[in-house]
Amino acid sequence: MFGELLGPHYLKWLFDGFILTLTLSAVVCLVATGLGFLVCLARLGSSRLASWPARTYLALFRNTPLLVQLFFWYFGLSALLPEGLVSWLNTPHEVSVAGVEISWPSFEFIAGFWGLTLYTSAFIAEEFRAGVASVRPQQREAGVAMGFRPAQVWRYIVLPQALRTALGPLLGQYMNALKNSSLTMAIGLAELSYASRQVETETFKTFQAFGFATLLYIFSIALIEAAGQWIRQTKRYRQGAA
Amino acid sequence: MDFSVISDNLEYFLIGAYPDGPLGGAALTLVLSVLSGVSAAILGLVLGIALSSLKGWPRGILIAVLGFLRAIPVLMLIFWSYFLLPIIFHVDIPALFTVVCALSLIGGAYLAYSVHAGIQSLPDGQWAAARALGMRPVQVMRLIILPQALPIMLPSFLNQWISLIKDTSLAYVIGVGELSFVATQVSNRVMVHPTEIFLFVALVYFVFCSSLDLLANFTTRKQAVKHA
Amino acid sequence: MKKLTALTALTLAVLSGLAHADRLEDIKKSGVLRVASFDSNPPFGFIDAKSKQIEGLDVDYAKAIADKLGVKLQLQPTNPANRVPLLVANKVDLVLANFTITPERAEQVNFSIPYFSSGQQFIVKKGTLKSQDELNKWRVGVDKGTVNEGVLREKFPGAKVVAYDDTPFAFTALRNGNVQAITQDGPKLIGLLANVPDRDKYEVPPFTISNDLIGVGLPKGEKALTDVVNQTLVELESKGQAQKIYDTWFGPDTKTPLARLYKIGDKS
Repeated sequence: MFGELLGPHYLKWLFDGFILTLTLSAVVCLVATGLGFLVCLARLGSSRLASWPARTYLALFRNTPLLVQLFFWYFGLSALLPEGLVSWLNTPHEVSVAGVEISWPSFEFIAGFWGLTLYTSAFIAEEFRAGVASVRPQQREAGVAMGFRPAQVWRYIVLPQALRTALGPLLGQYMNALKNSSLTMAIGLAELSYASRQVETETFKTFQAFGFATLLYIFSIALIEAAGQWIRQTKRYRQGAA
Repeated sequence: MDFSVISDNLEYFLIGAYPDGPLGGAALTLVLSVLSGVSAAILGLVLGIALSSLKGWPRGILIAVLGFLRAIPVLMLIFWSYFLLPIIFHVDIPALFTVVCALSLIGGAYLAYSVHAGIQSLPDGQWAAARALGMRPVQVMRLIILPQALPIMLPSFLNQWISLIKDTSLAYVIGVGELSFVATQVSNRVMVHPTEIFLFVALVYFVFCSSLDLLANFTTRKQAVKHA
Repeated sequence: MKKLTALTALTLAVLSGLAHADRLEDIKKSGVLRVASFDSNPPFGFIDAKSKQIEGLDVDYAKAIADKLGVKLQLQPTNPANRVPLLVANKVDLVLANFTITPERAEQVNFSIPYFSSGQQFIVKKGTLKSQDELNKWRVGVDKGTVNEGVLREKFPGAKVVAYDDTPFAFTALRNGNVQAITQDGPKLIGLLANVPDRDKYEVPPFTISNDLIGVGLPKGEKALTDVVNQTLVELESKGQAQKIYDTWFGPDTKTPLARLYKIGDKS
């Protein structure tokens, strides 16, 4: 039972799933950070036109389970889309970018990416908001008193401090995105959790399949944690210490 | 979109097959959330105090365990503890208990750090003064530290509980009849209304979580006024 | 001396109690037979809208076995992927969920004699599949944890396989256009189409890519239980009950009429 290791054929499945998990998480974190930042700005903006839609967005995506959101995007929404669009999204296309062949990802990946990004960006927006809130208003007043324009106050005074405070929680959200990618197995994406179940179905080596997948998850989380520690000891970060 | 499928099956969504079967649906989601929430809170409190009080290698082990619980995806923990633990340890854990345990462990691990942060945020002078007055460590914790730290930690607890309500949806993977599971059963039977069903399910979770969210905002604002 | 004998006797008594108790005895003692059946696959196992209980062909067989043992039936809803884990982890005593008999599975679980046979087929949108070979370029939906996935990969290695938690999910993906075909046991597909309002848009091409025998899944090594189940199945056939159960779900008056080609006890 603790017994033999998995054959190379099955290790390859697990490894492919792991690469997919990493790719999905990386792309999600990248886009969600940008999107979350924009939503945060909208939320903090003084005009109601920007802040109320932002608040609705945040409430909607933070207070519903990710699983239900993924089901909605994959099964619910594609039922509403026109047939032509759906078949185009599902056909593999290949694009040559600078001599590198990039193939169009599967619809499962697209839906998983879309759902996970919207979900994660809502949480990232809140972390940014907390970061900005941690910068004392006196800092802003001092900036204005020194002649900075509002945009400059943001860029040189508020944002650097806000980002510094938000770094820890932001990395926490990246780790969450990595773990939440396991939910995409419900919509057919062959990431790591799916691969470990598949291996278990064929080989019945429950412990080995599970153990290997868990180790890979812990390894990736530890990697993000290590990245955080590395950033914290860089000169730029340490300069910001109050 | 035709929402009659929701009204036709409303009872099944809300309470499952009860009383002709076990409790299910939204009612079971609430039960799971409350049970896991309370256990996670207690566990988080105990582990957080331990994190603040232990030193040396026991603390190292605790940090390793907490790190493991925070690194593993919830879905995997639920699935594998239900199917793997019986094989390794020959213990049979009923599905409901597995879900509550998994969610409490993970929730407790996150809350431990919040409790720890809350305790650490109090000035050291409080400890010193209390000890100088002759109080024993347990009394210091109980009478001085915790009453001040807990209100600070309340928003974290509420946020964790909101996560918990959402994470109960993952119990579907081991066939627990909570809201997401019964919704997919109905969707699979009716076949042509996935959009309406998932929108309804999202709405129910939204109502549950937003209520807690509003409560969290209310308490933080009240605190801010108190401390201003 | 007397003390030693008493001690030995006590130890033996305790040890024999701890020794692996037969599952059949456990079931009879507890008075409950735990069976895993599908909850989303008419007419094998599905939730009846009015009674809110799981009903179907597999459930009828389960009821017959429980009656024979004189115990209560307790149903556990499952999808294809959880069948073997539920059995191996001792969460259920039997699996009656369109469970195909394969040599690989037989290493992990016991099987009863077959009680149903079917072939693996496909559902496609009407008029889209011109020849079998096209499947090699298509996206095909399957259920996780079924033999269908393996057979599909073997016979159509070029097909892009997407695995879902259960057949209705795969069918929704087909309807939405995310996959171009889904594959499952023929009778399951017929049962699926019969319950779908837009069934005229789909068809089941008349070829099968495998022939499967369906049996009851039992925990490995439980000979007594397996014997009782086999006995029950043979009796059901000889008394005509098996035919009645079949007619209830696949008979000429049902939504899914299908000729009965396999009787319990036939050689495949």
